[in-house]
Amino acid sequence: MNARSRNETAPVHLGMPGHGPEAPRLGPLARLAPEPLKVVLNWGRRYSLWVFNFGLACCAIEFIAASMARHDFIRLGVIPFAPGPRQADLMVVSGTVTDKMAPAVRRLYEQMPDPKYVISFGACSNCGGPYWDSYSVTKGVDQIVPVDVYVPGCPPRPEALLQGILKLQEKIARESLGERYAGRPASPAGAPGAASASALTSGLVRGPATPGEEAGR
Amino acid sequence: MSDDAPRSEPSGTASGRRLPGRGLAKGLAVTLRTMTRRSVTDQYPDALPELPPRSRGVIGLFEENCTVCMLCARECPDWCIYIDSHKETVPATTPGGRERSRNVLDRFAIDFALCMYCGICIEVCPFDALFWSPEFEYAEEDILDLTHERDRLREWMWTVPVPPALDPAGEEPKEVAAARKAAERPDPPEQPGTEPGRPGGRGPRREGEA
Repeated sequence: MNARSRNETAPVHLGMPGHGPEAPRLGPLARLAPEPLKVVLNWGRRYSLWVFNFGLACCAIEFIAASMARHDFIRLGVIPFAPGPRQADLMVVSGTVTDKMAPAVRRLYEQMPDPKYVISFGACSNCGGPYWDSYSVTKGVDQIVPVDVYVPGCPPRPEALLQGILKLQEKIARESLGERYAGRPASPAGAPGAASASALTSGLVRGPATPGEEAGR
Repeated sequence: MSDDAPRSEPSGTASGRRLPGRGLAKGLAVTLRTMTRRSVTDQYPDALPELPPRSRGVIGLFEENCTVCMLCARECPDWCIYIDSHKETVPATTPGGRERSRNVLDRFAIDFALCMYCGICIEVCPFDALFWSPEFEYAEEDILDLTHERDRLREWMWTVPVPPALDPAGEEPKEVAAARKAAERPDPPEQPGTEPGRPGGRGPRREGEA
């Protein structure tokens, strides 16, 4: 809020929290935190994920099956069915994301408090899947929200979701929050448009490598 | 709601006043019963699931059978198979013969982010180069890592299970029926100019036929 009052000409308020001056800021000390502290905090964060199920289509059924008695992801620390996005850490997008639903996905993602993680479950949310050619399907939820783990399958087995959660837990174990949110500037530097552009692209899928970089791939 | 407040006239019950805490006792009884019952949970990371024989997990490629006909890439509804190849010439086996050309596979990649596991590529392959494998643990952090190349597809071949036995009471498969009829058919009379003892000999040159 301080930044806002400092600006004479206020930046365009997009109505989406997470962009512009209200982007989450971590102090410079976050990267200097001692290693044991990071280990403890990462441990706490990865074994107490409250999951918000964004179930859209058939993959939602597999997600629900994974939450039931037989495959039970609560054994991994993932607590099912957070009451809403505001009380959730992890969002599992399972099913086809249509163009009509895309703004809702973005809105609910923005309502989740940081640190938050996204698992894309199934072919449709990975990249459009069988509906890659459709006029009304968003070809991959990573066009809208940054995705941490992609679980392939159509639909994936519930055990595949468990493995995806394990992979996410491994990713959280080795992450540093200071680097995760490095892309977002602490204060709007230069034009407000520049700040929101970098906030928009942080954490999203990087573009294909240029031919010069691909030599080593 | 617990029956804490005792009622003066219980309707329909023969016993007297209702004891306080009845609801709580019933709930605890349910908990005790569920606690002592065996749980049905499959302990996944420690114990792998028992997968049915023809379960579809991932697609493996047996390169030796592949002739790069590209039928799988053509028929894939998602266009998720990427094939590159080139032609090489094989010198003639007999003097004065024609050189043969054969396809050599350069790149065979399947984009498992797009793949919808329909199995059309496996059904359509005329040379049995693609197989279903029950592997399902290959989630990735980067979507570009979900495109798997020949080496990974080959690794998955070694997890392909033996095909399950056919139902003994079922109809005989067509290949077996055709082979049986061919075996029972009497040999046709020999034609002049062919080697003696050669069954069904037609002409001097038989190479190049399937």
